[in-house]
Amino acid sequence: MILTEDQLRDLLDKSLAELPGTDRFAVVLEGSVAEGFGNPSSDIDFLLVGRGGEDLPTMPSLLFVDGRRVEVRTRSAGQLADQFARLEDRARRPGTLDEDLLNRCQRFLHSHPLRGRALADEVKALMPAERFRRIAADWWAHRARQSLRHAEALLCLGAGEEAVDWSRAALVQTVKAWAAGRGETYLEPKWLSLQLDRIGRADVRDRYWELQSAHPAPGDLDAARDHLSDCVGFATGLGLTGVRGGPGRITVRRAPGVTTWQTGGTTHVVRRRREVFALGDRSGAVWRSLVPGRSLPRAIAVAEDPGAPAPGPLLAAFWRYGLVRLAWKGGGTISASLPLAAPPGPVTPPPSRARPLLSIHGAAVGGPDAVELVPLPAERFAAAAMNLVWSNVVVENAIEDLTGALARGQWRVAELTARRAVHAALRGLFSAYGVHPLPADCDLVHRMDLLPRATGPIRTRARQLLRRTAGSAARGESLHADLCAFVALVRDATGSAGFPSCFDSADAWRATLELGYDWLRIGTHLDVELPIDEARDLLAGRGAQPYDGGARPYDGRPQPYDTAAQPPGDSQPHGATQPHHGG
Amino acid sequence: MADALTVLVTGAGGFVGAEVTARLTAAGHTVLALLHHRTGIVRNDGRRLRPAPGALTPLTGDITRPGLGLGRDDRRLARTADRIVHCAAVTDFGLPDERYDDVNVRGTRHVLGVALAGRTPLVHLSTAYVCGERDGTAYEDELDVGQTPGNGYERSKLTAETMVRKAAAEGLPVTVVRPSIVTGAARTGRVRDFKTVYPVLKVFTRGLVSTAPGHYDAVLDLVPVDRVAGLVTAACVRFDAAEGRTLHAAGHELTLRDFSDVLAEYPSFRVPRFVPPSAFSAAALPGRERSYYERVIAHYDTYFRRRVHFDDTHAAAFSPWRPGRGRAYLRRLLDHCLATGYLGTPPPKTPAARPAHGSPQ
Repeated sequence: MILTEDQLRDLLDKSLAELPGTDRFAVVLEGSVAEGFGNPSSDIDFLLVGRGGEDLPTMPSLLFVDGRRVEVRTRSAGQLADQFARLEDRARRPGTLDEDLLNRCQRFLHSHPLRGRALADEVKALMPAERFRRIAADWWAHRARQSLRHAEALLCLGAGEEAVDWSRAALVQTVKAWAAGRGETYLEPKWLSLQLDRIGRADVRDRYWELQSAHPAPGDLDAARDHLSDCVGFATGLGLTGVRGGPGRITVRRAPGVTTWQTGGTTHVVRRRREVFALGDRSGAVWRSLVPGRSLPRAIAVAEDPGAPAPGPLLAAFWRYGLVRLAWKGGGTISASLPLAAPPGPVTPPPSRARPLLSIHGAAVGGPDAVELVPLPAERFAAAAMNLVWSNVVVENAIEDLTGALARGQWRVAELTARRAVHAALRGLFSAYGVHPLPADCDLVHRMDLLPRATGPIRTRARQLLRRTAGSAARGESLHADLCAFVALVRDATGSAGFPSCFDSADAWRATLELGYDWLRIGTHLDVELPIDEARDLLAGRGAQPYDGGARPYDGRPQPYDTAAQPPGDSQPHGATQPHHGG
Repeated sequence: MADALTVLVTGAGGFVGAEVTARLTAAGHTVLALLHHRTGIVRNDGRRLRPAPGALTPLTGDITRPGLGLGRDDRRLARTADRIVHCAAVTDFGLPDERYDDVNVRGTRHVLGVALAGRTPLVHLSTAYVCGERDGTAYEDELDVGQTPGNGYERSKLTAETMVRKAAAEGLPVTVVRPSIVTGAARTGRVRDFKTVYPVLKVFTRGLVSTAPGHYDAVLDLVPVDRVAGLVTAACVRFDAAEGRTLHAAGHELTLRDFSDVLAEYPSFRVPRFVPPSAFSAAALPGRERSYYERVIAHYDTYFRRRVHFDDTHAAAFSPWRPGRGRAYLRRLLDHCLATGYLGTPPPKTPAARPAHGSPQ
């Protein structure tokens, strides 16, 4: 050790002098210094062990003694015994074994007793050294295996440099597994060189450093492949299993909780019902080509489009974001992780900066290869989109009502319906920018400060229209024309141009329904509250008409009318078709 | 083991009949397997049934003919049966009514003739969808309650079951088993015949039909073929306990919303949109989509309107079964379809030849 027994005892005495009430504890030194590593800047880690089973605090006391940082932790014998029991319990599935738990057990088992040795030895005996070596070796081997498989997948996807980095990570993990089996169980990788020196196998050490320091040329996939092959050979030579077989052993799998929804030409992928990714044309096509269960090489081959860039980077992005899983045949999901680093799991990219966020056809995407995170929680995204569609339906309905009122000289009715159309259009505008829930109608024009400055002209015209009157045929016609221009302006800004004139014909109404249903499917999947009752009927209603005497359940239970589903163009007043309170 | 039985199984080469035959022969019973042709029996897992020597006697016959079209020796052999299990039926959709009448009605009449002649206990395979177009709960002890059959298949099965009940009233020992929509094995999703709901899944998931009339709360009940075969076999072997009963072989209740949500879990699958029937017009569909709609989906859209629950109190008491989670079962079915390549291939550039349609049973 870098410190003598006397130096350690002196540090201990000075440390405990600052911590009254510690006389009853046994004391061990653990960590890098106890392992025989360390340097002048290494921390000194004392563990105070209390007899009994009391629940002692986990937080260490931090002291500075003679220029050294000293950490003093406390554990009861019962707590240590519990740690060993949990370790044993999880050892059968190394992937679930917590790194901190393994580290705590290792540090205590390899600690150097300074006081109350009998108690420390008594607790250490609960976990035989050979058994612990096996557990630690399996734990590292599991990680090495995952890292090599991960590298194999990356290579297959054309990410050579990433593959090399993961191959290097796998090298460390492989050698740590091998070393753990020989008693070198200290987890921290930074002392690996000293561990290898201590084991005394120059052949392994030298080959490890040779592979570790190899640098395949960036962009040279063949060189990356050779490096990975060498790493796999080295690992299997040290006894690692489950890494041979190449990319053909990797299959594409569904990721739990990931769903795909198409609206218009946009493919949306919802992750765990929380986040929405919008895909561009090409990324959407690559995504749509994925068939769970196929091998990764085949999935890539199927996704390839002559003349287009290789699909590997897109597939890698899907994988990185947790939209698909990759699995090793007979070995479960590939899940690589680095010890003492971030836990494994999907990466979340920064949110898309496209504005407005969505149109009636889907979320905004920046280009054909986009895999963009919509900057809204999934539920709000779906709710806003449904409001956008529904607001357009209401606009159509209000304009039709306005036309009718003007024809009859019902000026006051015309003014109110025009305002309703303005408010509905503004609701669509807010929704396109992701505002949800919406402000009250009378607040809409005042809350346009929430929207980008570019919407200023819309606000100006909305204010004007809301003050307009229709006291004569000429003023009414003018109002109608200005309203239509305003609606066109808003629709242009919200990607709603081409919205069906839903009350003009049965076909247009059908097109509106289909558009609405595409969003309703997502909304109901996310359990979003639907905009209004009529929309709810669209989904849950029985599709019956008030005048429809068709098939009825023989048990005679009343069925809700599906008022919103009534096609226009019949002789009925529009009360049955109106999605809002007009008419 | 109970006394070994000799069982005449009609439709022994069919989807359910093959599994019933396999179970009976495995349990040490002798099966007289009524088949159209002297071909082997293929089980649901695709393997040829290889029973112990003497356990299986194939009889070539035709239930649409009197005496099941059996020759004199086979007819004599059939009379030795301790039980008759009547699985034979035409289950495709969209056929002329005469075809259903010929096989499902007249065929049942001929089977009843054989059963009545020797007062041989009969297990009749019907369908839970004899309930017709209705919502609510369909009970096992209901039959003709004035319902409207959803199609010619349902009408024929209702007529056949009514005949069976009439024979029972005349003293024939009878048990009726009514499966819902028979689909793949419970644990693996494996299926021998991609019929019943499978062509519908194919057309929808390939995006060949994107809009169909239906209600998201409509329920399709999918029952694993092994549950049906197990229940039929139990009814046959423990006939005394089942006699006089009608047993619903109900399975997993899945709403169209369940289908929608689960299909969305597969990147390559297209998810159909269901619109209210009143707002749907087949004529408004684009040409190719309309063609697929009329050839496949239209035969099934009656099932996209119903919210029916099959009460299976008697079946559960007679032969307990825990169906598990419906969505997980649907995923197993889909995964099997992908593994075999039935689903997951890109759509053809032109409409395929008329695909086989399946019925609930």
